[in-house]
Amino acid sequence: MLIVLPDGSRREIAGNEERIEDILKQLGLNPEEVIVAKNGKIVPEEEIAGGSDELKIVRFVHGG
Amino acid sequence: MLSDSEKKRYSRQIRLFGEEGQEKLKRTSVFIAGAGGLGSVISLYMAAAGFGKIRICDCDSVELSNLNRQILHANADLGRAKAKSAYEGLTAINPEIEVVARIEIISQENIDQLLQGCDLIMDGMDNFPVRYLLNRAALKRKIPLFHGAISGYQGQATTIVPGRTACLACIFPRAPPASVFPALGSTCGVIGSIQVTEAVKYVTGAGQLLENRLLLWDGLSGCLDEMAYERNTACREC
Repeated sequence: MLIVLPDGSRREIAGNEERIEDILKQLGLNPEEVIVAKNGKIVPEEEIAGGSDELKIVRFVHGG
Repeated sequence: MLSDSEKKRYSRQIRLFGEEGQEKLKRTSVFIAGAGGLGSVISLYMAAAGFGKIRICDCDSVELSNLNRQILHANADLGRAKAKSAYEGLTAINPEIEVVARIEIISQENIDQLLQGCDLIMDGMDNFPVRYLLNRAALKRKIPLFHGAISGYQGQATTIVPGRTACLACIFPRAPPASVFPALGSTCGVIGSIQVTEAVKYVTGAGQLLENRLLLWDGLSGCLDEMAYERNTACREC
């Protein structure tokens, strides 16, 4: 699985399918601060990802 | 009908979408939540563009630390209610529109009354709890919500159209932790301008809206990106 991190760096991770929330925690990211697109589409953190999926993680902002 | 003065004032826009489009803007009532960094840009461009009725709401007073980005307010406005300087600034730019400024905290209790008669909602807020209130009100009233948010060099925008798109809570199910965010005026300029462009397109029927697409601006890299989204079947709001 290819993961694009909020800083734009890429990481290839091998392993079983997992909940996105758990993947974020393993990466040291707070699920409350990011949104995740799986294969180009934003998905909830309960979604499962793995195999050949591509995850893009973006830190969203809240100011105005 | 547009007056001769309005035809002259909006002549460059009339070249874009005709008198018919300009009349549609004139007939549109907008609610702008917040007169801060985003609200400044949103309200100034909406007033200048000729949205006929603008209701802008902010509970704060102008502070020195606001003036790097909140271009609706000037040094002379320090200590005054933002809503008051907003009223003066917007009517000075365009006296042909109707501006109503409210000094209120947007809450569950007053949101229905604040939105009464409004055709669309502009998000100029600085926190997600109030954005969720705006989202819920947009769903209930079946009117669009033009979302924008910024921090530092980064920003995001999307257009929520009830019945056609997912809602804000589908994209952001949880509010991020509250924090003091860094803010650059030009980032507010980028995102607020996109929100106004979306509102103009919505009203005049031009182009493709940012429906089910979240636009992401990264000023540091100079890149615009977008992410598709769809309704979350487990969404608590829609």
